[in-house]
Amino acid sequence: MKKRSIVTLVTAAAIATLALAGCGNSATSNEATTNNEAASNETTTATTSTDAAVGVGEAAGFTEIPIFEDEEIELLNVSAVYFQPVPMSNGNEDITPFNLHLEADISALSNDLGYGVGDWVPYLTVDYKVIGSDGSTAAEGTFMTMSASDGPHYGANIALPNADTYGLEITIHSPEENGYLLHTDAETGPGGSFDTYFGNGNLVVSYEGWEYTPQEW
Amino acid sequence: MLTYLIKTTESLILVTVILGLILAYSRNYFEDKGKRVMLIGTVLGVISSIVMSYMKNATSRIDTSWWNLRIFGLALVAFVLFLVFTIKKVAEKTGKVGAWIQWLALAILDFTAILYTFPDVWAYPYGFLQTGQTIVSTDFLYKFIGYLFGLILMFVFGLAVYQSAKRTDDKALSLVLKIALLVNAIRQLSVGLQIMLARRMITSNHTLFTIAKYTSNYSNVFLYGEMVLALILPIVLLIAGMHVNEPYENPAQKRKIIAKWRNTRRWAITVFVTLLLAIMNMTVVKAYDNREVALSPVEDTVVKEGAVYVSFEQVEDGHLHRFAYESESGTQIRFIVIKKPNSSSYGIGLDACDICGETGYYEKDGQVVCKLCDVVMNVNTIGFKGGCNPIVIDYHIENGNIVVPIDTLLQYEVEFKR
Repeated sequence: MKKRSIVTLVTAAAIATLALAGCGNSATSNEATTNNEAASNETTTATTSTDAAVGVGEAAGFTEIPIFEDEEIELLNVSAVYFQPVPMSNGNEDITPFNLHLEADISALSNDLGYGVGDWVPYLTVDYKVIGSDGSTAAEGTFMTMSASDGPHYGANIALPNADTYGLEITIHSPEENGYLLHTDAETGPGGSFDTYFGNGNLVVSYEGWEYTPQEW
Repeated sequence: MLTYLIKTTESLILVTVILGLILAYSRNYFEDKGKRVMLIGTVLGVISSIVMSYMKNATSRIDTSWWNLRIFGLALVAFVLFLVFTIKKVAEKTGKVGAWIQWLALAILDFTAILYTFPDVWAYPYGFLQTGQTIVSTDFLYKFIGYLFGLILMFVFGLAVYQSAKRTDDKALSLVLKIALLVNAIRQLSVGLQIMLARRMITSNHTLFTIAKYTSNYSNVFLYGEMVLALILPIVLLIAGMHVNEPYENPAQKRKIIAKWRNTRRWAITVFVTLLLAIMNMTVVKAYDNREVALSPVEDTVVKEGAVYVSFEQVEDGHLHRFAYESESGTQIRFIVIKKPNSSSYGIGLDACDICGETGYYEKDGQVVCKLCDVVMNVNTIGFKGGCNPIVIDYHIENGNIVVPIDTLLQYEVEFKR
């Protein structure tokens, strides 16, 4: 009888612990300020306001951690998230040098270039730059275009081994640079021009205050 | 090979110390029933870690961070229970019930230590295959040998910690074990805090993030702390071994005492040797493994009529060749050429890619590798856009030469100014 009560006691403690570990998301908000050195580029400041703590993917093993969400710039809605480094096709299978997979989700807002509102925008060149609290560049490069189970996006595995409060700068080039064309006739064309949105240069979304610690994935 | 020797050592050294101490403690302190509970905890830990390893790599059902939080929570409760029920007064007051709680708590600590650490270690060979290797390849064999050496080294180290610990005075063992578990608990709390902050389960503030930042950036402190603890008991044994004064009644007993202390010394020295090897793995060998690869020198070319000329003779050996044009601002704009295997065509591109910039490529075992991210290129796809492939440039063939227009190269000058 005594043994049974001990086992019951310890089991109850274990279950309580598991329950505690599994609960308790709390909302937070985070605001950012930005400085943009490229005067010719259009710049916006990203803000996070996250009632839902993390964007949980369809599968349990795939949880996107937001950096900033739903930043609108010209015709684009931009969000940045990260999660575990992922093997990718075409020689990018080795994930050992990397700490995370950084992803920019870029969808269309209302526009006259023919993109459906909410649709992923293809043919973009998207550069990223992660800036440490001391102003040094911790990582930079150009995102690759790829598809995950939740759809296409721009992303890259990156090495970011140190915890810090980082800034993130995402620079979006015109699709025209990659040879994307528009119908120009009145009958079939969407009616707009890339110059309307990219006439002043690349679009830059900057976010400061990304409190990052490397995660065990 | 070295990479996986280092990874296995780094992953296992902390848990090896803890398991060695836990198992020695249970052997010295626990009754047979308690030892059986420990055995069940260990076996369940191993089985669960194998299942977890499979689930993490073959399914999308496991969110590691959530599982780590659960494991840490369970381990912390077990740690507190263990501490409370090993207090002499509490143990005397609670009798059998207290003993059972102590056994179960330590068994849970044993179980959680294995479940937390081993799934990733079991999965390393699966990681080799992810990089496109097959089980029968030389590369797989080398990596597996490194992995196996790491496992063997850590097994011998753990066994030596266990053997040394079980021969030590019980009070010293108890104290060292509790400190080791405390260090581990603090580490688990700090990792738990990092997870909860990243996932916004708790609201971040300056103090919390500062704690998370420093415990993350200096996480090796926990590792080295456990390694120092692992050394204490062998040192105690070696000192005790110098002043052996055990009574004996006949030569046979004397020989037995001498043999016992000889074995004790050997296990203590084994702890030192294996720990030294482990530290070398994590420092000297790691530095060697991560040494910067020197790019092969830029080869001579002919520059005339607004273009860079590379003759077929220069590049027909099938190896990677590096060339450059120096702009007026002194920037060296590099490009690579490699003759494709079983083909008369050439892979030509900048010595830079969109993702990693101008870090360059080197040739290793007949393969072209990106110096920054270690991605191995498919030689046949060099000259095509995508991934970490060299940036594609315009060129044409003319009278047995590859001709790259200078204007083309100058377009990419900015890539080499970063």
